[in-house]
Amino acid sequence: MTDPRLWRILSYGILAFAVLVLIYLVLPTLVIVPLSFSSETFLSFPPPGFSLQWYDAFAQSLDYRIAILNSVKIGLPAALFATVFGTLAALALVRGHLPGRRLLSALMIAPLILPQIVLAIGLFPIMVKLGIIGSYAGILLGHTVLAMPLVFITVAAALKSYAPTYELAAMTLGANRWNTFRFVTLPMIKPGVIVGFIFAFAFSFDELILAIFLTNPATRTVPRLLWEHLNYQMTPVIAAATVVLLVITLSMLAIAAVYARTGARKPSGAAS
Amino acid sequence: MSLAMPERRLEKLSPSAARHRPWSPERGHALLLLPPLLLLVAFFVIPLADVVLQSFAGPGHPLTQYERIFTQSSTLQVLLYTFQTAATVTLCTLVLSYPVAFVVSRAKGNLLHLSLALILIPFWTSTVIRTYAWIVILQRRGVLNEMMLDWGWIERPLKLMSNGVGMQIAMIHIMLPFMVIPLLNTMRGIDGNLLRAAAVLGANPLRQFLSVYLPLSLPGVSAGSILVFISSLGFYITPALLGGQKTMVAVLIEQQASRLLDWPMASALATVLLVVTCLLFLLYERAMRFAGGGKTVGEVS
Repeated sequence: MTDPRLWRILSYGILAFAVLVLIYLVLPTLVIVPLSFSSETFLSFPPPGFSLQWYDAFAQSLDYRIAILNSVKIGLPAALFATVFGTLAALALVRGHLPGRRLLSALMIAPLILPQIVLAIGLFPIMVKLGIIGSYAGILLGHTVLAMPLVFITVAAALKSYAPTYELAAMTLGANRWNTFRFVTLPMIKPGVIVGFIFAFAFSFDELILAIFLTNPATRTVPRLLWEHLNYQMTPVIAAATVVLLVITLSMLAIAAVYARTGARKPSGAAS
Repeated sequence: MSLAMPERRLEKLSPSAARHRPWSPERGHALLLLPPLLLLVAFFVIPLADVVLQSFAGPGHPLTQYERIFTQSSTLQVLLYTFQTAATVTLCTLVLSYPVAFVVSRAKGNLLHLSLALILIPFWTSTVIRTYAWIVILQRRGVLNEMMLDWGWIERPLKLMSNGVGMQIAMIHIMLPFMVIPLLNTMRGIDGNLLRAAAVLGANPLRQFLSVYLPLSLPGVSAGSILVFISSLGFYITPALLGGQKTMVAVLIEQQASRLLDWPMASALATVLLVVTCLLFLLYERAMRFAGGGKTVGEVS
């Protein structure tokens, strides 16, 4: 048969290829970091000198301040609604025995899969008719629908991770539905719910296409502001803003990871 | 429990009622579905139905818009180009992702956590930001041109942006996590003993891969490919910023709707996109069913 050394070389080749792809995955985004500390106005690389002027400009910018506030004002309630609705859907579809469960589950994750431009085209006339175009309510509803699948997926996974006998035991011991949920189900799925909430918030914080159609200059979010700046004026302020946003996203991810891990470490004994 | 008693008695009494399942806390969960379902119907199903209706509503006979799409060479070209780009991006992403998923699926401990972080961080980084990074890299006075000029590889800056290649490189970069994650989910479920069994029976590593590992990883391959293909078809941000003259269908829809205010045309294009996506989504569902467990995006431990 063939020389075993050949296979070893081949496996190192695969490893090297994988490492290169991982670098391709991460490196391009990091290019922004040195640029944000540039002393030049136009994009030049490597930056000729170090300065914090773009961070200063970012901090001074009223546009960014309003956009960040808008993103939080839209993202937090949207994530909250998405969490409540997504958890309800997961409870119904994982714990209940409904006819057409597969189809309903597919419908629940469909908003995540379908191109957002199609939904944006569909929501625009409806929001106009309802008179909430450009308002917080309009974009809030849109983001709730789009973020709900994320919560549905994480909570459904949490519910599938343990047998429903825990709830059965609680109800046999006389707990009503609410108490069973409050003292048994919720503690068990809490990490999934929290991770889902963070994902939903991160999603809303990043979403652009619905924001283009459903917000106005007073309610525009950070991605829409970045988008407008990218289309009309390219200064390193965008780089500074981007680095700040990256740090925010990464810290949210870190929190989510910590929660997911503590949840995985103690799946039982939470029902105290 | 009070609810349970009559049911149990019925079970004993009539043979037809015996087919009912015994009492369980699952009863009543169906009602919980009502609020999310209403929300989805009001702000997802109805808007999509509205898009489909609007596409027939323009002047002329109901199919005017579709006739325009499939006879005007410009729109037809955009559709073809969209499919072509989505196919290219999907294929390249698959080729790049498969070895990564394979290596990561066998990693353990801190190495596993590190590589998962490297995959998940881009997954959760805003597409606007990642596209911006590619503008910084690919533009006329961008990182790549400056570096190649410094090293004397080229004499004048190359036009890397506003053409298909730059856009595709950026799209592949953005789509990679969507391919790696489903592949990883499938590969982590493959029992290593099967490969060992194949080796004991005399298969060399290539044979082990081709007749054991590859077939077992196919559910992940199809799920990831369909997911990336769907996402690429409806991709807006990167084509709008890096695509230049050649636009993809999502950009065309946006232009028709918000710049030309040709709502029926935008709706017809969106309907085409919607129908294709729905068909592919059904395929995806089937692929995930084969993969078992019904796992989807972002569901990695």
